[in-house]
Amino acid sequence: MKRKSFIQSSVAALTASYLPALPKFENGEDETLFVSPPALKTGDLIGITSPAGYIITQEIQSAVMKMESWGYKIKIGDTIDKRDFTFGGTDEERAKDLQQMLDDPKIKAIMCARGGYGAVRIVDKLNWEKFKAKPKWIIGFSDVTVFHSHLNRNFGIASIHSKMCNSFPDDWSTAEPVQIETIESIQLALSGVKMKYSAIPNSQNKPGIADGVLVGGNLKTLESLAGTRSDINTSGKILFVEDTGEYMYSVDRMFWNLKRTGKLSQLKGLIVGGFKIKVDEDSDDFGRTLQDVVLEKIKAYHYPVCFDFPVGHQKNNYALKCGVKHRLNITPDAVTLKEI
Amino acid sequence: MIKTPPYLKKGDTIGLVCPAGFMPVERVSECIRVMNEDWGFTTKVGTTVGRQYHYFSGTDEERTEDFQNMLDDDNVKAILCARGGYGISRIIDKIDFTRFKENAKWIIGFSDVTVLHSHIYRNYNISTLHATMANAFNEDGFKNEYVQSLRHALEGKKIKYQVKQHEFNRKGEGIGELVGGNLALLAHLVGTDSDLKTKGRILFIEDVGEYLYNIDRMMYQLKRSGKLDKLAGLIVGGFTDMKDTERPFGQTVHEIIRDAVAEYDYPVCFDFPVSHEKENYALKIGVGYKLKVGKNKVTLEE
Repeated sequence: MKRKSFIQSSVAALTASYLPALPKFENGEDETLFVSPPALKTGDLIGITSPAGYIITQEIQSAVMKMESWGYKIKIGDTIDKRDFTFGGTDEERAKDLQQMLDDPKIKAIMCARGGYGAVRIVDKLNWEKFKAKPKWIIGFSDVTVFHSHLNRNFGIASIHSKMCNSFPDDWSTAEPVQIETIESIQLALSGVKMKYSAIPNSQNKPGIADGVLVGGNLKTLESLAGTRSDINTSGKILFVEDTGEYMYSVDRMFWNLKRTGKLSQLKGLIVGGFKIKVDEDSDDFGRTLQDVVLEKIKAYHYPVCFDFPVGHQKNNYALKCGVKHRLNITPDAVTLKEI
Repeated sequence: MIKTPPYLKKGDTIGLVCPAGFMPVERVSECIRVMNEDWGFTTKVGTTVGRQYHYFSGTDEERTEDFQNMLDDDNVKAILCARGGYGISRIIDKIDFTRFKENAKWIIGFSDVTVLHSHIYRNYNISTLHATMANAFNEDGFKNEYVQSLRHALEGKKIKYQVKQHEFNRKGEGIGELVGGNLALLAHLVGTDSDLKTKGRILFIEDVGEYLYNIDRMMYQLKRSGKLDKLAGLIVGGFTDMKDTERPFGQTVHEIIRDAVAEYDYPVCFDFPVSHEKENYALKIGVGYKLKVGKNKVTLEE
C-alpha cells in the first residue's frame, strides 16, 4: 500500500524534523500575545482540505455552496476524493495539500472537511513558517484538535473549533434550527464578530466569573498529545472538552490524565461540552455520573465549571475561537461565554 | 541502581488484593489454593478480594487502604493484584510508598497494574513483576508454563525465555533494564508523575481490544514524546482482539508497530508471549535483560 512505502522513504525527513525536547512556548505562555488571524472579507478565499479521514466531493457540496452564499470563494484541495484506506490520501498527500493551503497567501482560512483520525500523522511534517508570519484561520474539531493544540502550544495563534463540511446538511429545508444556527456561527466567527454563547444551566455547575483565553477540544485527542510537542498549555486559560463514544471508565481515566499532567490546577474556568458515553455490561455500573467524574478531580480548585455546553459531536456544536480571550459567567440561572 | 525485592522462600506470605475491578471470590480461590498447597507459600487475602462497589472492588478509600496495609505489613513479601480492569489511576496518588521504599516487596500483575509498575520504577527504582494474575490459575491454568513462570520468578530463578522468530523481527542484540506493560496505560501515563522511562531500556508492550487507529495514535504519542528513539530493544507482545473501523485502517497491528520504529535500528521482536491471553510470561520490570533477536529464534534472559 502507498502509505507504507511512503513511511519507509520518509525516514530521513522524519528524523531531521524530530525535536527531542519540548519547544519553549513562543507565545502560548502569555495570553496577551495570542494572535488572531485577520477576519474574512467578502470575496476572500477558503481552502477545503482533509487532513484525516477520507471524504468525497459530494459530501462537501453543501458546505461549498453555503460558504459561497456567505460571499467567500472556495478552493477545493487535492485530498478531497483521495483515499488511502481510512485516510483522505497518504500521509504525504494530506501533508502536501495542507502545506499548500498554509503557504498560499490568497487562502485566508482552511476548513478541514472532516475529522476521523490522521492529523497527528502529518503534524510534524508541516512547515509552519509562512503560516506563523501570516496567520490564517484553521477550522474544525474532533481530530483537528491536534492542530488547535499544536497552535496553542507552539505559536499562540487562534483557530476555530467548529463543525466541518460533513456536518452541513444536504437539505436545509429539513435541518433543525440549531443545526443551521451552529453552521451560521462559523460565518460569524470568520467575519470577526465578537462571539457570545449561552448554555442551559446544569444544577451541578459551579458558579463564578472567569476571564481567560479559551482553549480545548476533543478530550481523547488532548490525552493522546500529552508529553508531545503539541501538548496543550492550559495555565491561566478557560478549558473546554468534549468527547463521544467512550466508556465512562475511559472518560474518568482521561480526566485523571488531565489532572495528573497538571492541566486542571491552573485553570481560570472549565467548560464541559457534550459527552456521549458508550455503555456495555461491564461499564454501565460505573457508579459515577459524568458530573461526579469531573467534579471530584477539581474539588480543590475554585474556578467556575459548567456542564452541557453546546460543543461536541452533536447538533448544537457552535463555533468557538480557540486562543481568543473570553469571559465565562456562570450563575444558577444562566451560563454565558462571550468574547472580550 | 535498581533495587530488587528479596525473593520468596517457602512459607513466605503473598498478599492478594484487588486494586481495580471487582472479582468474585470464587475466581480467586484456585490461585490461593495453588500458592498455599503447591507452591508452599502462605497467603493473606485482602479485604478487597470479593468486595464490590459498582464496577470496582471497593471504594477508592477501601482499595487504597487494602493495598496500603499490604505494602506496610512486613510479613507480606509479595502483593499479587488478583485482577486488573480499571481503577489504579484513581488511587495511585493516595498510596504512601514510604515504608515500601525501605522494605521493598514484589508487586505482581499486568494490564491496569501497569500504572503501579511504571510509577514504582520511575519514582522508587524498585523492581516489580509483570505477570499473570489470579484468573490465569483457573481451569487448570496453573499447570501451564506461563503461570509457572510467575512461581519461578518469585523464587528467584534466573529467567531465560526463548520464542519463535517472526517475519517482521529486526535482528540484533540489546541490553538494558526491562520496562513496559499495557500500551493504552503507558500512553495514558505520558506526562504524569508515573510516566515511563525508556531511554537505554528494553521496552515491551501489549494490548487487547483496541481499534487499530488507536494503536497507531498511541504509537505516535510514544514516538512524539520521545519514548521510542533511544531504546535498547523493543518487545512486541500480544495485540489480541484488535478492532477496525467501518473504513478499514489498512494496516495490521504488526505493520503499524513496525512502521512506528522503522527509522531506528535497535532489535525488535513480535509475538512475544506477554499478553492478555494465556501466553504471558513473568517479566521483571527494572531488571537488566539481554534481548537477542536472531534469524531463527529470539531469546530474552536476565
